[in-house]
Amino acid sequence: VPIFVAFVYESKDAPRDLDAPTFVAYMNRYVEFGQKAGHAIAGGAVLMPDWSATTIEVQGGQGGKVVLSDGPYVETREMLGGFYLLEAEHLDDAIALAAQIPSAWDGGRVEVRPTMPM
Amino acid sequence: VTSVSESSPPDIAEIIRLERACVIATLIRLAGNIDNAEDAFAEATIEALKRWPDAGIPTRPGAWLTTVARRKALDTLRRESKRSMRETEVALTEGPTDGDLLDVNTVRDDSLRLFFICCHPALPITTQVSLALRLIGGLTTAEIAHALLESEVATSKRITRGKAKIAANNIAYRIPADHELPERLHGVLNAIALIHTTGHHAPTGPVITRADLTAEALRLTELLARLMPDEPECLGLHALLVATAARASTRTDTAGQFVPLPAADRSKWNRGQASEARSILERALRFGRPGPFQLQAAISCLHSLAPTFEATDWPQICELYDRLEHFAPSTAVSVNRAVALAQRDGPEAGLSRLDQLAGDAAEWTFFHVACGHLHGQLGNASAAKESYETALRLTHNDIDRAYIEGLLES
Repeated sequence: VPIFVAFVYESKDAPRDLDAPTFVAYMNRYVEFGQKAGHAIAGGAVLMPDWSATTIEVQGGQGGKVVLSDGPYVETREMLGGFYLLEAEHLDDAIALAAQIPSAWDGGRVEVRPTMPM
Repeated sequence: VTSVSESSPPDIAEIIRLERACVIATLIRLAGNIDNAEDAFAEATIEALKRWPDAGIPTRPGAWLTTVARRKALDTLRRESKRSMRETEVALTEGPTDGDLLDVNTVRDDSLRLFFICCHPALPITTQVSLALRLIGGLTTAEIAHALLESEVATSKRITRGKAKIAANNIAYRIPADHELPERLHGVLNAIALIHTTGHHAPTGPVITRADLTAEALRLTELLARLMPDEPECLGLHALLVATAARASTRTDTAGQFVPLPAADRSKWNRGQASEARSILERALRFGRPGPFQLQAAISCLHSLAPTFEATDWPQICELYDRLEHFAPSTAVSVNRAVALAQRDGPEAGLSRLDQLAGDAAEWTFFHVACGHLHGQLGNASAAKESYETALRLTHNDIDRAYIEGLLES
């Protein structure tokens, strides 16, 4: 069966903090979807909110200087080309892996974000 | 345990303040989380304030606080242990004994870990600064907000977000490995330097220097230089801050107005600090690994040691700025280099160099002040006036404004 990836772009009104009063109700709607469509869901993860994101750019080509910036990658000129799920103990380990992804050093960017422990 | 009679409450508060950073640093490692460490420390502080006035101050107050705080953290953990926190519990119960807590190397490493986690490059620089002031400096949120001239809500939100990002990303509580150390250390030094710069020349507000911030930056640097005595850039920043402190008393006059370097009363400079700065710098330079902070320190030392403004070693300052431009190119460095050049080669040389920088430095108050000054020296009153007027439009600091208005009138 062919596999499709569904990127979930949240509404501006979505709760951005785990302790927001509306968070549980908000998440329950996704749980409900997960139950209904469970037969077709091959995988996925809940990302931590935008404030947990770090964007990585390697300047000067492969193996160059790793430059970090706080927050998600907001430019839209470049295309979202794929994703990896990386196993890493700490952010530093995730960054070290992400910096080797070609788009990090060929003029694109890689955004790393922790997933919510489920 | 010392005698009771000498321990008045203010002494106790001061001792706790001095021990705070080291104790917090160890607690973060043991409790695995900054919030728990801070809460446990607060509880241990309450306990100390209750018990020390009668029982006397322990001979090792830091170890006492760590032990009590560790017990408090464990209590909290047991109360709230809905989730699996087995690992943390092991660290808290089976962790080091009181003897180990006092181990010099452990305390040293924990303090360094604290510097590196506060100034992790995945955090925005303002967050790094706020976390360092809070966790290492021991400033309250209100004090940080006051120092950074912003609302308490804004400071509090930034600190909360920073701690949440550290927790969500499981940012490691460790000293960076050798290959990443130089760059990570540079990040830490930059954050401390920013605290100092903000205190030395407040970008906005009614005063130009904020002694609380410069003192805090110096304290953080002293601690870091003690922890990393073999890092020349660390010593370089230390020398820079001490050399600047030597001249601090003449930055403003008795009315709080800005006094430029040529007009400073050098008899009021702190000779002791000036020579201390030089000896710290000499120690740094012996490693033979120059860097931007050592170069800035060298420039600052030349100013602090010069008998008069005219007798300052401008040729050497120009040379140092050349090298600094190579190490850490920035508009500020280029403008300062042009100003030094004007002292060495005359106002025309300086001005032609400044002209080349006009594009990049257009939004910077001091650039226009420097242009105005050199135009004035060349007898070009209308160009000087124009530069000063531009500078006036750009400044947000009341003292700078008064100073520039004074230049316009003269």
